[in-house]
Amino acid sequence: MSAHNHSNDIQHLYEGDQSKLYSGVMSHHTDINSSESKKQIGRIWKVFWILLAVTVVEVVLGMFFSHSMPKGLLAFFFLALTLFKAGYIVSVFMHLGDEVKSFMITVLIPLTLFVWFIIAFLMDGGFWLHMNNWSGLK
Amino acid sequence: MAQASATTAETKVWGGGRSPFNVSYGKMMMWFFLLTDAFTFGAFLISYGTTRFFSTVWPDPNQVFHAFPFMGHANLPLLFVSLMTFILIMSSVTMVLAVHAGHYGDRQGVIKWLLWTIIGGICFLSCQAWEWTHLHHQGAWWGSFTDSTAPLSSIEHFFNMKNPDVVAALPAGGMQATHDFYNYFFTITGFHGGHVASGVVLLIMVLINTINGVYDRRGHYEMVEKIGLYWHFVDLVWVFVFTCFYLL
Repeated sequence: MSAHNHSNDIQHLYEGDQSKLYSGVMSHHTDINSSESKKQIGRIWKVFWILLAVTVVEVVLGMFFSHSMPKGLLAFFFLALTLFKAGYIVSVFMHLGDEVKSFMITVLIPLTLFVWFIIAFLMDGGFWLHMNNWSGLK
Repeated sequence: MAQASATTAETKVWGGGRSPFNVSYGKMMMWFFLLTDAFTFGAFLISYGTTRFFSTVWPDPNQVFHAFPFMGHANLPLLFVSLMTFILIMSSVTMVLAVHAGHYGDRQGVIKWLLWTIIGGICFLSCQAWEWTHLHHQGAWWGSFTDSTAPLSSIEHFFNMKNPDVVAALPAGGMQATHDFYNYFFTITGFHGGHVASGVVLLIMVLINTINGVYDRRGHYEMVEKIGLYWHFVDLVWVFVFTCFYLL
């Protein structure tokens, strides 16, 4: 009997208690057909259409303009559109936009390291390009 | 006075007993795991970018990815990979709808949308399997294209031969570039495909738990949310892989 109670306690502590504090269930969402729920679903589909439209623009750029536009400008467009899509996925689909600000910052700050990575490795690549083209070595 | 009360509020937030981030331990750790995974994928893609940047010539995605299943030799650049991207975005939408249904404790909704997400994931993996097979038939694999004495005709269909600069650089750098390109291609899309495959397995496990009513007994569908985070991350990575390999 006591062993039975003990295992029940563990089951309770395992995930239930703590997650219940923070999951949406406890904030009195009950009716999936409520106007609040429908509004959220509408937002999800809106983001889907935005992502689809941006992807179509990217593919059209890649198919028809990849040889006629300056390479740098094309790369800038592609990277800007990619980051635009990434922002929507993270903030709406992954609900990071709905988290508290301090958590958002905690997740996003380490990603700024990428700025340095990209600069460092492009410089490295540029140096190798220079060395490969330097006829004195060949 | 205002300052004093702000300090009190702050002490309460960080005073223990409740997460200052207002998230559970499991969800926070999923975010941190995804953060580390982002750096792994980032390292792969930046390494790819560096190699590409220092290569004098590089395969043209419009030439490499122009095939479509059952269309024979029709030239349909980027169409198949656009379909793959569409499938993955779609599965991301069905996933977020499953998470949404979970927030409202709607078990039938969770089951329906999880099923669609699993179907989307399997469709994506099938597309990838077809693409890998197709490229493999063209002689591409890890460690392929190493023989610098092989005739240029073995690689020139991967390049944009309308560009005179490319044609000029091909004899010296073409073989090395093709070799590098495919090593990165199979490694990065393979690593991503591995993520999709394990995501499908996780989703099937969550689906079984949902059908068995585990989350109803637990009182919340947070597990759907956590696996959802992983699934969206996989979609997010694909957005970057798509740009790096197929567009740039």
